[in-house]
Amino acid sequence: MKADLTVDAKGLSCPMPIVRAKKGIDQLNAGEVMELITTDPGSVKDFQGWVKQTNHELLEHREEGGVYTFYVKKAE
Amino acid sequence: MTVNHLSAEQLRDKMNKGESLFILDVRNEGDYSDWKIEGKTIESLNIPYFEFLDDEDVADGRLPKDKEIVTVCAKGGSSRFVAEILDGKGFRATSLDGGMKAWSLVYNTVPVDEENQLKLYQINRMAKGCLSYMIFSRGEAAVVDPGRHIDFYMELAAREGAKITHILDSHLHADHISGGPALAEKTGSAYYITTSDLQGTPPFAYRPLEENKHIRFGDVEVEVLALQTPGHTPGSVSFFINKRFLLSGDTLFVGGLGRPDLGGKAREWAEMLYDTVFNQLNDLADDVLVLPAHFADLSEVNEKGIVGEGLGTIRRNNKAMQTTEKAAFTDMVAGAASTQTPPNYEAIIAINRGEKSVGEEEATELEIGPNRCAVHHHG
Repeated sequence: MKADLTVDAKGLSCPMPIVRAKKGIDQLNAGEVMELITTDPGSVKDFQGWVKQTNHELLEHREEGGVYTFYVKKAE
Repeated sequence: MTVNHLSAEQLRDKMNKGESLFILDVRNEGDYSDWKIEGKTIESLNIPYFEFLDDEDVADGRLPKDKEIVTVCAKGGSSRFVAEILDGKGFRATSLDGGMKAWSLVYNTVPVDEENQLKLYQINRMAKGCLSYMIFSRGEAAVVDPGRHIDFYMELAAREGAKITHILDSHLHADHISGGPALAEKTGSAYYITTSDLQGTPPFAYRPLEENKHIRFGDVEVEVLALQTPGHTPGSVSFFINKRFLLSGDTLFVGGLGRPDLGGKAREWAEMLYDTVFNQLNDLADDVLVLPAHFADLSEVNEKGIVGEGLGTIRRNNKAMQTTEKAAFTDMVAGAASTQTPPNYEAIIAINRGEKSVGEEEATELEIGPNRCAVHHHG
């Protein structure tokens, strides 16, 4: 999937992946897509909670060998 | 910026003193509803930390201005982050170091009874709802259902000037890793468990409870009688001490019965539980103090801080124990157990049978989460 911005939060633990994600999405325009990459398993549910609460749209997420990748579309 | 913080042990000590505390748990809603810090003097609120990212004022109207607020998360990172925000806004915020992970490792010692012949302590691993026991008599000590943090028991024995000589597991645990085999090895004492729960030959030495129904230790006669009380597992036993205390394992709780479904044979095991309740336990007097291996709810903690209740009271209050019709009892108990299973219980069972071994980090991760060994809603 094509992203307008990639936030690499690998190796960071809570709350930093979500803090980075928030900073990242603030730079985007509505409708643009951010890719977040994290290795903290604890951030997975938290990230989904944050996306839901902020009304952004989670387009896709996957896990490969302990690396979690999320694609989020910024809310209108 | 450094913000106030406290250790899980300091939090336990505050709770023991009856301090009124306000806990702000900043994990996501699912984790909070699954498992949280509870206490009779604790008020608790859940606002996930990520809500503070978009609005630092999100919690303002819901937090006390005049009281210490303890922030809690999974491992201590996000709670510090939120405590810093609150601190900057003038709240008295303190972050729990290590979060729920550290809380899951805290043990609390509560004296139950002291008489000429014995001294009995209940050891409460509060986050897990797991209870273990130490019985002291004339310089000897028995440990019942020890958790895996064996140093805790060895330190308590040292403080009491006693040598640990007997270690007993009431059954093969599914919700936490037993400290039994390791503690036996370290102290050179005998480890007792039923052969029927081990299902095979473990790599550690043990004495089968099936063949050791009367265990004595100390100069004074302290009788530990192993009752066959299957139901929660096929090999579950209760320990009847000096005909006064029934250490009931996961067979009988203050608020209910042990769940019979963790072996995939719920009805069969529920029938065994019936026979235990109406045959084995029926002969015991009402004033026997029942001390279980778990609690599910704070209402099971009495005014002395002990999880325990007279057998007569438990009989009167427990609906299942009044259901003398076997089929109805089996339906009730087997049906009630179809809720969530303890986290990682298959891996934990394999470890407790000696089929698998893990390091400290993995052991901590496996044990994190709520206790789910009781049949709920049938108090």
